[in-house]
Amino acid sequence: MINGMTHEEAREALGALALDALDASERAAVLAHVADCSSCRDELMAMRETAAKLAYVVSPVPMADEQRDRVRARLLARASLERSAPPVQTPTTPMFAQVTPASPVRILEPSHVPRNTPHRSTPSVPPLVLRPTVVPHDAAIIAMHRMEARSRWMAAAAVVVAVGSVWALMNTREERDDMKVQLQLATVEARADGKVMDSLRAGLTARDRMIANLTGPEVAVVTLAANSPRSPSARMFWDQSVGAWTFVAHNLPQPRNGRTYQLWLVTTGGKVSAGLFSPNGSGDAVVKATYPLARDALAAVAVTDEPTEGSPQPTTTPVLVGTTRAR
Amino acid sequence: MVHPGRFPLPGTAAERYIDARMNPLPSDSPYPLSSAALSPRGDERVAPDDATLLRMMAGGDEQAMGVLYDRWHPMVNAVVLRMLRQRDAVEDVVEETFWQAWRQAGRYEANRGQVQTWLLTIARSRALDRMRSMKRLREEPMEGDSGEVIVQQAAEGDPAMDAESSERRKIVLEALAELPGEQREALELGYFGGLSQSEISERTGQPLGTIKTRMRLAMLKLRGRLQVLREDGR
Repeated sequence: MINGMTHEEAREALGALALDALDASERAAVLAHVADCSSCRDELMAMRETAAKLAYVVSPVPMADEQRDRVRARLLARASLERSAPPVQTPTTPMFAQVTPASPVRILEPSHVPRNTPHRSTPSVPPLVLRPTVVPHDAAIIAMHRMEARSRWMAAAAVVVAVGSVWALMNTREERDDMKVQLQLATVEARADGKVMDSLRAGLTARDRMIANLTGPEVAVVTLAANSPRSPSARMFWDQSVGAWTFVAHNLPQPRNGRTYQLWLVTTGGKVSAGLFSPNGSGDAVVKATYPLARDALAAVAVTDEPTEGSPQPTTTPVLVGTTRAR
Repeated sequence: MVHPGRFPLPGTAAERYIDARMNPLPSDSPYPLSSAALSPRGDERVAPDDATLLRMMAGGDEQAMGVLYDRWHPMVNAVVLRMLRQRDAVEDVVEETFWQAWRQAGRYEANRGQVQTWLLTIARSRALDRMRSMKRLREEPMEGDSGEVIVQQAAEGDPAMDAESSERRKIVLEALAELPGEQREALELGYFGGLSQSEISERTGQPLGTIKTRMRLAMLKLRGRLQVLREDGR
């Protein structure tokens, strides 16, 4: 007898264990026995194989097209984000907290934007109303980049946060879930002070918002493609419910000296700049912006190579371009 | 007619459906590649098998996950739908199933079973988590609900099941049909209902020891009958 359960008792329960049908205490006792009994381990494996085959009694039920495409788009978006992102972050790490030299943050502030730029002269294009997507912890870090980040080229821009390091993407569901667990633990154990709790809540809110912007039911996905030796690729996630845009690019070559990439929303009313960005050392880049736009007003999303200060209108052939068919 | 909340038995509409699907066997690939991602020019290609897709996923190829999803989401959806029956929750669990597959693709071992079985095991596990977190086990009795009807209606018009899956299903259904009804019920309530033996005892009014015996005997018989489906992975 091991751990309070005889070999025979444990063995008789292996089928139920394989079905995950044991109560918690019994399950623990059987597992404790199995840990020390190789024959029961083998038997449990066989039982689990048997249980797994019960799934075959159902016949396939394809999801509705819209639902299927929605889940697919979310999965690919999450995978794309994770592929770009470094390993697991600690849940309390604030968004955008690490910005490497290869991934400059550029913030365009309204007070530095000319009011009579060509974009402003296009009345049918609404002004960009962009929100910073940083949590309070990041203010100091972001501020370090502001001096180098100001630009005067873009019409009606309020704030654009362009983050080359995809570390800033951080909004995976795992992180969100981890934070929820941490928050619950902190609450239950009553050992977190208000500051920690506030930090967790702020991070959680930011991540939930990011996930919603990428995966919400009203998110349109535009895939951008290009022809070049490195085959850069990108996707734009447009959360139409709140006008949030998240652009994720891979394999972008570094722009030449004095040049940068500029992201464009090609609308029925004109081309609207959505930000300047440079990829990190791996060629990955992310640009986030908020810009209300009618659902049928977007014709394409494009990326062009422009001077460092940006251009009021595209001046080169797009490096990447995608039209708005995918939904 | 398939009794709600029970495994469908041979001779039912489901069984006739399977027979119809199996004769004649399809001559083309059982795994049509529906994603253009791996065939951007629209040319004819043989889709990578599941194990290859998992290796590609482990290497960071999200398009491979797209193909795996296209191929198996109907089965994953069916299992999750059978367990949860709430479409919002089902969609979420289907997504989490493939997301877990993406995260754990590198850990898949072909000698431990086929990818499809691995996926469905993940799906059931995630659905169980959701089911238990929703605390719906005691609140929403399975008897008489419409879950099986949803599955069955969809299956009638569904062309997605390939010959191999159909064959597997037939074998499992036949094995289940050989079990006494009360043993089959215990399995059903445990596998799809997510109930523990104690909960099954409560639900059916049978002594706990009786439920344990039924479940144990059912699993032993199934194990023997399903040896023929011994998996070697692909």
